[in-house]
Amino acid sequence: MAKILIIDDDPDIVEAIKVVLESKGYQVSSARSGKEGLNKIKLDKPHLIILDIMMETNDKGFEVARILKKDKNYEDIPILMLTAIKQKTGLDFKKEAGDEDWLPVDDYVEKPLAANELISKVEKLLEKK
Amino acid sequence: MVEFIQKESLLERIYWLIRLRWIAIVGVITTILFVKNALLIPLVTAPLYGVISFLGIYNLIFLLYLNRLKEKKKPNLVLIANRFANIQISLDLLSLTLLIHFSGGIENPFIFYFIFHMIIASILLSRRASYLQATFATLLLISMVGLEYFGILSHHYLEGFSLRGLYTNKLYIAGVSFVFVSTLYLAVYMASSISEKLRLREQSLKQANLLLEEKDRIKSEYVLRVSHDIKEHLSAIQSCLEPVEDGITGELNLKQKDLIQRAVERTGKLLFFVKALLEISRIKLSKEIEMDYFSLKKTIADATNFIDTRAKNKIISIEFKIDPGLDLIWGAQIYIEETIANLLANCVKYTLKNGKISLEAKDRGNSVLIKVTDTGIGIPKEEIPKVFDEFYRASNAKELERDGTGLGLAIAKQVVERHKGKIWVESEEGKGSTFYILLPKSK
Repeated sequence: MAKILIIDDDPDIVEAIKVVLESKGYQVSSARSGKEGLNKIKLDKPHLIILDIMMETNDKGFEVARILKKDKNYEDIPILMLTAIKQKTGLDFKKEAGDEDWLPVDDYVEKPLAANELISKVEKLLEKK
Repeated sequence: MVEFIQKESLLERIYWLIRLRWIAIVGVITTILFVKNALLIPLVTAPLYGVISFLGIYNLIFLLYLNRLKEKKKPNLVLIANRFANIQISLDLLSLTLLIHFSGGIENPFIFYFIFHMIIASILLSRRASYLQATFATLLLISMVGLEYFGILSHHYLEGFSLRGLYTNKLYIAGVSFVFVSTLYLAVYMASSISEKLRLREQSLKQANLLLEEKDRIKSEYVLRVSHDIKEHLSAIQSCLEPVEDGITGELNLKQKDLIQRAVERTGKLLFFVKALLEISRIKLSKEIEMDYFSLKKTIADATNFIDTRAKNKIISIEFKIDPGLDLIWGAQIYIEETIANLLANCVKYTLKNGKISLEAKDRGNSVLIKVTDTGIGIPKEEIPKVFDEFYRASNAKELERDGTGLGLAIAKQVVERHKGKIWVESEEGKGSTFYILLPKSK
């Protein structure tokens, strides 16, 4: 079954996501910071990453996503971004590569998490792969 | 801010001075006609009309200059406006002296009209500048009287009004000059004392206002921080409850399910409220909101999607009328979409089953008028002025719907005002409401 890594500094959110995904049989691990997340990815490459935006810094999640998508070894891992900021950021997830504001994430889910939405998005991203 | 108010009021007062001058011109002409034709006192009108033309021309030039000055928004506007006011008053004193000279000199009782100039100077200028203007007026008068006395300037006698040769009577000259000069200085003293006091009071009010604004900002920052924190926790609580409610952690019995559902619903409501609080504090604190051209048509369509199901559930019909040529406008699309969605959501919330909602967008040249009408419960007349206040909910709204943050319209107002637009409402209790948003089309 697919391996999923959750990178979020909120242990309760991590636990909630874990419960939901494990119920579907996924193999879930977690990291409490962007830095720890990057290390874990290097040790054991996951099939999908669920990534929070605000961690050590307000945009650590963006930074992690950019690092991963620039690395040939990891660019193929789909990233599902967790965000509490709905549309306010004006983020357009369909922007072309090369744009400076380009955000290399594949999809996003909003906090608080709706279990069904999370599952369907995870399934879709893994299927695509 | 203080600087800005000063500029505004000084410019406004100069406009007032220019208006006064037009009135004075009409007054002088009327007086000349009356004195000449009704009182039959012979006047040499040509030079008098010459002075009046001079007055009219420089007033026109000043008006044009002031309009240009206002547009340019120079940084040292206060200084320029001050100098400008000084020049105007000096020119006025000169004009009045000339008018008096050509109509009897020291024998003309209109000589005391100099007092008005002193009062105007005291209102517009600093105390020192006002005394300088009084000194200038004194010099002008003494020169005129002196030059006429020594015959260097011809004296224009007011036949039938004053005694012949009065302008060479030393005692008369001395008496009138003394009273004249002392009147000028006393007038400046009194008027500037009063205006100084008013100026000080104005200043302290401004300061108090700034302080209040600063306190309000601090309060908003506090609210922002607190609500942000609360939101994080609520998000986590709800994220933990969700899988349990959905039965992911195992089947729940009915009572468990009911209680969990209640908990989810309540945290949901609280989350909604906290988000609204966050949003209004964020808008208040943000110095700039990113804006661009966006499609109003698409924005309206997106905003409507947001309430479609709720409207259908209550069998409420929604009608659209968007002027065909209307599309791109300048603004923060997300905020405008949310504002329109907010108004529509209110319409659905406070309209009973089988009601009607209509949304119109009208092209108004430089601006666009968005009109959202419902056949809902309306707003009691005396409560209309308060509906845009933070946390205010109309009494009948509270009766119909227990839940509501009282922030929706306050946020809408903030958003519209940040776009330099206007928002207002017309409503009749029991019949429905119409909300209007007027937005500028471009930057």
